[in-house]
Amino acid sequence: MKTRHKFVIGGAVIFGVLAALSVQGLQEMTVYFYTPQEVLAAPTDFQEKTIRIGALVQPGTVEWDARSIRLAFHITEDSIRSIPVIYEGVKPDMFKEGQGVVVEGRMENGVFEAQQLLVKHSEEYKVDHNQVASKVDYHKSVIQ
Amino acid sequence: MDSAARWTARLEIIAPLTLFACGLWVFVFTPTETEQGFVQKIMYIHVPSVIVTYLAFFVTFALGIAYLWKRLLVFDRIAKVSAEIGLIFCAMVLFSGAIWGRPTWGTYWVWDARLTTTLLLFLIFLGYFLLRLSVQDREKEARFASVLGIVGFLDIPIVHKSVEWWRTLHQPSTLFKVQEGAAKPAMPTELLYPLLASMFAMLLFYGYLLLLRWQMEENQDQLHEELAQGVI
Repeated sequence: MKTRHKFVIGGAVIFGVLAALSVQGLQEMTVYFYTPQEVLAAPTDFQEKTIRIGALVQPGTVEWDARSIRLAFHITEDSIRSIPVIYEGVKPDMFKEGQGVVVEGRMENGVFEAQQLLVKHSEEYKVDHNQVASKVDYHKSVIQ
Repeated sequence: MDSAARWTARLEIIAPLTLFACGLWVFVFTPTETEQGFVQKIMYIHVPSVIVTYLAFFVTFALGIAYLWKRLLVFDRIAKVSAEIGLIFCAMVLFSGAIWGRPTWGTYWVWDARLTTTLLLFLIFLGYFLLRLSVQDREKEARFASVLGIVGFLDIPIVHKSVEWWRTLHQPSTLFKVQEGAAKPAMPTELLYPLLASMFAMLLFYGYLLLLRWQMEENQDQLHEELAQGVI
């Protein structure tokens, strides 16, 4: 009987956490990030609030200062209207021009100061065919 | 049961060999993906585990319905062991995804729709086993578990569609990507074929685990019954 009670209480705790998670999760979950358009359309709504913006890194705007570990770039959806971003931290390996990113931080005087920089991966996978050929040749040579 | 035992013995050899062959294919003969590099190999564990998780919980769902309809404990036993395997593979999905996420996204975890609903799936089926343990009567346990198994499965369509319904950090499906009105995987065949083979190998492994655990469960219930009747 005692172990039974333990499991009932344990189960109740798990379901309590579950409920709390889903309530908290649902709000954040449905919109994980805003788009630059949404932020630029209603700038006052997003002032002094920690938000996430998802967009593409605008080519030709990336400035990386390795000495002070400071990354500056613009994010955009349509290449016409963009938001300048400053990120103090190490540049992620997958970060490059035209890459999808999600930045978390605040708008300060028209500049987005990011605390976190996440790189969004696309669902497209690619293979360099020159490399494939050489690799197949390599294995053939090993087998022979 | 005899044929189940025979198939278990066969799969015990076939499944690990197939997995090993896939490992060789993936790590030796599959080209490295251009953008992600070596990290992309995690996909060959991650995606097959997703497929097994979906299938395992679907079996629990279908046999939950079958139990409520026919009230045969054999359905409940299969539903239970399938949920066990599903839970392990769901953990593997979360774990392999986190390891992939760190070098690719720059974080192990985010609370986006895909990751949150997948964690929810894991917690629901963790609750499923707590529910089973908290009920003493075998018939009652089967009844309660069937209901939770059916309801819990409903999270899977949400998990699968989450990347289309909401804005997520997780990318949309590569395998079921629709291009020009037709479903066409967004990856070259050099990467796709070993993935399909890994999925097949993982499904064989699931089949093996299911048969093995099912027979254990049958024996266990039979033993309990005989003990209760005083046969032994």
